[in-house]
Parts: sequence; structure tokens; C-alpha cells
Amino acid sequence: MTTKQHSHGSVGNYILVALILGVITYFEFAIVEYPQAWLGQTWTLVLLAVLSIIKFVMVVMFFMHLKGDDRLYSGFFSSGMILAVLSFLAMIAMFILPRSMSYADAPMVQAEAAGVVPGEAADHGAGIDEATRGLIETDGRSRSAAAIADSPSPADRSLSVAAPQAANDASSYQVDTSAPAAADAAASDSQVAAEDAAEAAAAADEAAAQDEAGGAAAAEAPAPAAAAESAAVAWDEAQGLQVFTANCSACHQATGAGIPGAFPPLADHLGAVHEAGGREQLIRTLLFGLQGQIQVDGMSYNGFMPGWAQLDDASIANTLNHVIVNLGSGAPAGFTPYTAADVAAHRGDGLTPADVHALRAELALD
Amino acid sequence: MSAHVATSTAAQDPVTGGVATPAGFRSTRLPDVKLLMWVFLASDCMFFGSLIGTYLAYHNRSIVGPFPADVLDIPLTTVSSFVLLMSSFLMVLALHALRNNDIPKFRLWTLGVAVFGSIFLGFQVYEFVHFVNAGLSIHQNLFGTTFFILTGTHGIHVTVGVLWLLSILVASYRRPTSSKDAVYLEIAGLYWHFVDIVWIVIFTVVYLVEFV
Repeated sequence: MTTKQHSHGSVGNYILVALILGVITYFEFAIVEYPQAWLGQTWTLVLLAVLSIIKFVMVVMFFMHLKGDDRLYSGFFSSGMILAVLSFLAMIAMFILPRSMSYADAPMVQAEAAGVVPGEAADHGAGIDEATRGLIETDGRSRSAAAIADSPSPADRSLSVAAPQAANDASSYQVDTSAPAAADAAASDSQVAAEDAAEAAAAADEAAAQDEAGGAAAAEAPAPAAAAESAAVAWDEAQGLQVFTANCSACHQATGAGIPGAFPPLADHLGAVHEAGGREQLIRTLLFGLQGQIQVDGMSYNGFMPGWAQLDDASIANTLNHVIVNLGSGAPAGFTPYTAADVAAHRGDGLTPADVHALRAELALD
Repeated sequence: MSAHVATSTAAQDPVTGGVATPAGFRSTRLPDVKLLMWVFLASDCMFFGSLIGTYLAYHNRSIVGPFPADVLDIPLTTVSSFVLLMSSFLMVLALHALRNNDIPKFRLWTLGVAVFGSIFLGFQVYEFVHFVNAGLSIHQNLFGTTFFILTGTHGIHVTVGVLWLLSILVASYRRPTSSKDAVYLEIAGLYWHFVDIVWIVIFTVVYLVEFV
């Protein structure tokens, strides 16, 4: 590195390189600020990538003097670059591929439509065969005994209640609000409702209308829910499943079982909160989030759930209905499905996740 | 020639205080410090590769705003990118001057690099404050988390570079400095240019592509 060694470049070359780098940077800016319609999105991206690579290579070649320097340096640096690109691709693959396998809407909705048990179909390994799933779930060597004990068993993950399962085929589902003792009967009878969902729903609507008119006409309706003396509330089951799958299942799992210690279970727990007088609390939690320490089923969770106010009222109502009615052992007696209006009433509450946590404490759940 | 350089610069070395290496055999025939720097940069490539990969893996997965298009400012970042590029230009001028034993210019350009680096950091601090005021904290959403981790890590690299260059500048006043010490400025330069090329990638991947 003596003064005579001028393979390193001259000031003139440096100025030229700096000029080119500056011009390229301006071009990149111009391409983005003044989009060229004729170029199209794909070619714009390609052009930006090429310009970026040119800048990268120019700095490495001429400013870092890798061009003309000992090849050992280039060897080290390029192997680092190759490993960087590989770890980059691995990262992308690790995150993107499992997501598209287990959370893409289409295969799951199709599985649901085909009558597959939701808990199984929507589970992480949508693309994994039963034998592999068995291996994953039973192999204790990679998990502690406690973790295995805490995990829901395969049996827990499937739904045991017939009613929601059968009603998956129906576009709407009626819940008996005044005759909880008849729930079991309704469960088996809802097979009938599922066979002719549209008519059943229409009949329920009709029954409700007649109730309002003062007539006790519900008994005439063919659907079991309509046998109730008071009005049955219909809700959009497909939307509930879809919104839950898209937004909630990543943390709380498709079965609503949660992940012990990390994400609290929703199945059955939401029903318990509702029973404890938390009907409004559940709406607030979805709208505004929840932050702070809570106890669920004897396990402590100290996390943060964001609010979901960006979802519309009906989506939030149907998601709550999905969790309470279709997950775990089903809705508690006397549960009235949420409606969009219920949610709308709390939109303006303006709470923080910590406020919601404080309100939760008033329920004396923990 | 390389072997000669390796032994002579390592033997007496006023800038860094003297790495006591015997003026003897080097199997690589290359200055150890420079080789070490390239190995470090190779590892840093993987570090930033993972961070950029993470940013992209979580891209468009934020559930609540602010979203990238709401807060990113292309004209502002173009200026700061340009400043960082030009600091790399000053870096080669500084090294060129030191190799030619032009100590005043070496000091001037080295100071210039540190100043340009600080301007870049100023832009970044302004940007971060603006984002936080717009509601984008590191816990707000996936964009906030991955963005601040990625650009924050880069900002820390720039900060280290500025401090390194300033320490070289200070050392040049405390000890006699000549072209023999160029390899120590050179490795600081390599680090600096590397930080620059990482930003070239971030500027395109995080900022420009967002608005295409």
C-alpha cells in the first residue's frame, strides 16, 4: 500500500464512480416518484433491483477495491454474501411456506365445506398426512413432559358437539335462547336444518316476525330452533369461521385451544367469561385489545392482544359467536348470539388495552 | 509486494497502538487486520440478510396501522441515502490522501465522512421521531418491529463507524501518522463502505419497492 501502488484507483475514477452512484440514486427516486405507466409494475421492480445491484457492485468494486485486490478477500466476502442470500431465502421459506400451507383461506374453507372436522382441517398441518401428524404429536423426545401434558391431545382438538358440525353446511344457525334443556335435541335435529338450511332460516325469520306480531306461531316452524318460544337469532357462521381463521387462529389456534403459557385458550373460556357477566367485556376485548396479566384455567398469561376495531361489527359479532358456539364444548345455556348492533354499541367506548384489562378484573374471573 | 506490506505495517503502527506481530512469515501474505475485516463483513452480510429476510417475511402482515406507505418518505430518504453514498466517496478520498502522505487532506476528508455519517444519523433520528409521533412504535405492529430492528441495527453500525473514524482522526493528532498506517484507515473504510451497501439494499427493499 505504498504511494506507488495505484491499482487502487485515482481521484478521477472515484469522482466518476461517485457521480454515477448519485445519478443512479436520483433515477431510483424519479422512477418511484414519477411512475412510468409504460414500464409496468414488474419491470419497475426489475429496474429498481438492477439499479440497486449496480450501485452495490460499484461500491464493492471501486470503493472497497475488491476489483484487483487479493482474491482471498473476494472469496471470503462472496461466500458470506452467498450464505446471506441462502439465510435470506431460508427465512422467507420458513415464514411464507407454512403460512400458505396452513392459513390460506381456500383449502380450509374447502375442507370445511367437505365436512371435515374444523379442528383437524384448520390445524397447522393442513398438508400433512395422518401418519406424520401422529409422529409430530406423539414424539416426546423434542418436547418436555410438561409441554406434552399441557398440549391439547388430538382428541381435544376435534369438536365433540354435533350441532355446530352439522350446521356447518347451513348458511345460518339458530340457537335456542329460551329452552336450554332442549339443546341436545336441537343438536340432533339440526341435521334436518342443515339439509334444508335456506328454508329453515326463512322459517325462523317468519317465526320471529310472527312473535313480534304477538302470535305464538313458532311451533309451526319446521326447524328446531324455531320451536323456541322467543325469537331465535341467526348469525353468519361462515363469516365467523372465516374471520376467526384469518385473524385469530395464528395465536389462539384453529381449535381455540391457545398455546399454554403464550396465548390463552378461547374455547370454553369465552363462554365462561360470558357466564360471569362478561358479555360486553368480550366485545370490548375484540374492539380495543387486552394487555396485562390474566389467569385462564390456572395458567398465567401476561401478554398483549391488539384491538381489532378495523373489522366491521358483523365480523366481530360472528367471530365471537363462532368461538362460543362452535369451539370447545359449545355455547353455555341461554347464550344469545352477538349481533352487529351489539358490537356497534361499544365502538365509541375509546378504551385502551389496559382499560379493558381493568374492566376484566371487575368480573372476578381470575 | 503484499508480503512486504503485511510485515512492515504490522511491525510499527502508530494509529492503533501497535499490534505486536513478528516481521515474519504470513501464510496468507496479507495484512491480518484486513483479512479479519473481510471475514467480519462476510458474517455481517448474513446478519443483515436475516434481518432483511425477516422484514420481508412480515411485510404486509401488520394488522393495525400505521402501514409502510403511510409513513415512509421517499424524497427525505433519497437525500439521506445520497448523503451516505457521498460519505463513501469522501472515504476513498481520505484513504487516497493518506496513501499519498497528504495528512491535512486525509484529516479533512475523514472528518467529512464522520460529518456526513452524522447527517445521515440525524435524518434517521428525525425519521424515527416522526414515525413514533405518527403512532408507529416498535410494539405497534409487525412493520414497526421489523422496520425499527432493521434500520436501527443499521443506524448502530453507522454510529460505530462515525466513532471509529473520529478515533482515527484523534489518533492522527496524537501520534505521527503516515502512509504506513493506511491499512488501518482502509479497514475502517471497508466497514464504512459495507454499511453503505447495506443501506443501498435497505433503501430499495424497504423504501422504494413500497411505492411501486
